[in-house]
Amino acid sequence: MKARECNHNWRMIHVAYGYIITEKCSKCEIISTYFTFEDRPPLEEYREGDHYWNVVESAQSFRFDFKCASCGQTEKFEELMGLLMCIGCDKKCEVAKLQEILEKEKTWVYVAFGFLPKASHKQLSAEKIAMLEDFFNRRRNSADSRIKIVSQELVADYSLCYGKVIKDVNMLSLTVPEEGAKQSTSHSGGK
Amino acid sequence: MKLQEIIEKLNLQVLTKSEAKNVQGVFISDLLSDVMTSANAGDLWLTVQTHHNIIAVANLVNIAAIVVTHGKKVPEETITLGNRYHVIILSTPKTIFEIASSLNAIGLKSQ
Amino acid sequence: MPDINLRLLTVHRIKEALQAQVAVGENLLDTHITGIYASDLMSDILAYGKTGSILLTGMNSIQTAVSSYMAEFKAIVFLRGKKPTEDILKFAQGKGLILLTTRTDMYEACIKIAQIDGQLLPGSETAPSLDKEIDVAMHRFNIEGGDFTTAGMISTEIKEILNSIGYEPKLVRRVAISTYEGEMNVVMHAQKGIVTVKASDEEILVNLDDEGKGIPDVEKAMQEGFTTATEEQRALGFGSGMGLPNMKKNADILHVTSEVGKGTHVAMKFIVKK
Repeated sequence: MKARECNHNWRMIHVAYGYIITEKCSKCEIISTYFTFEDRPPLEEYREGDHYWNVVESAQSFRFDFKCASCGQTEKFEELMGLLMCIGCDKKCEVAKLQEILEKEKTWVYVAFGFLPKASHKQLSAEKIAMLEDFFNRRRNSADSRIKIVSQELVADYSLCYGKVIKDVNMLSLTVPEEGAKQSTSHSGGK
Repeated sequence: MKLQEIIEKLNLQVLTKSEAKNVQGVFISDLLSDVMTSANAGDLWLTVQTHHNIIAVANLVNIAAIVVTHGKKVPEETITLGNRYHVIILSTPKTIFEIASSLNAIGLKSQ
Repeated sequence: MPDINLRLLTVHRIKEALQAQVAVGENLLDTHITGIYASDLMSDILAYGKTGSILLTGMNSIQTAVSSYMAEFKAIVFLRGKKPTEDILKFAQGKGLILLTTRTDMYEACIKIAQIDGQLLPGSETAPSLDKEIDVAMHRFNIEGGDFTTAGMISTEIKEILNSIGYEPKLVRRVAISTYEGEMNVVMHAQKGIVTVKASDEEILVNLDDEGKGIPDVEKAMQEGFTTATEEQRALGFGSGMGLPNMKKNADILHVTSEVGKGTHVAMKFIVKK
């Protein structure tokens, strides 16, 4: 089957685990993110051009490419930082407005983020976002619900998002978390 | 296997609204990255993680339900999100190993 | 008298059941296991793991090995094809910690182990008493901030020293875990620090001094639940990983003083029971 005629059936390949490092400039406060296999981010503030970077977070994540199981076409996804589920924190945000409409149809909205700052990194094309959406929906195999992936263009300011891109934070923490958190009483409703 | 049957036989506490679901396998990990790369739709996900991104991952992959083990307290916020986005969260004081053994004993296989 | 053919669960039998490879500890496979622990979170290993257990995990970091050693696990199984790196192998070899690897996932591994016909070795509750006089032993170590590959090495050395002196294992475990928490804090949040240990037959004192960013609100940091840092706090370098509540739980007395921009001083006292 020729690649361009194929109704692609994407699979994840070249899955490699690494870290998403988040840095903040102490002068202008902008956020920078990047992916690395190095498990030791710089501890001290370092200067690069006009910026003075401090590591704010190192989180475990992975990167991958796609391969079509039918025609063998491959696509790289190096520009993808991660997916964020909209939790509707800002009613004025375009994504939150979309989520409010779509959740009635059990469609959950995710935002595909490239690395930050947006201006310095290649962001995901509409075509690639469509591939991601297609991959995850096929994998979900559900007639009942679906996901919709949108571009981070719709998000005014990631640093104001209450939601966070899916990644593994604090895996090196030795503190038993949330011992003091309130336990909700169990819900006895439903089937 | 029906989720309700698993809930009853393993005496799991239901923290969110529940729906009829068909559980097709089991996935155990505390690493969201591992769930994204390796879990299957319809899996029952066992974990000790309780922050709200477990909802994000559960829906992305179409997990049947999340079982929070070791009696970990699930924050209100996570439960509220679970209810809003139709993710069922169950709880048990038992360890992951104990629940895995029990699931196997009632006949649930991996996918 | 019934013929009791008590088959004990050994690492070897688990290895066979999981069709695992031995990365470290080929000669230690007859070790008996007292418990099975499945987790990817190191904080849980330290808080709930039972001495003499085997760990099943998908988390292959050096800290998994250090935490397992601190919790006195006998073996680790790295699941889903995850391979231990050179530093993990070296650490395990040095400590007699068995490492196995397998392609199996966590659920399959739990099932296969549950199906082994064997008993867990009961954990030992009795502790030897310290019946010899100790001169005061003093040790001082330097911690390099930001060096995750050696983080925990000082605590493991302290653990070995205390074990060789002859302190009761449960006490050594508490001291080791608290010191480990403190060492990790320095590594994660400070440029460098110093650990001093003073051990006598009355008490064990552990002091940690660092030149880090300091803790703005020590009271708050001591509270359990103060683990989710705000964006601002994370930007300043604080947040999860403080470890103070856990240290407070393990130490008999804990004192923390700190100055933002200068550093932190942690003093812990462990009383030696007669």
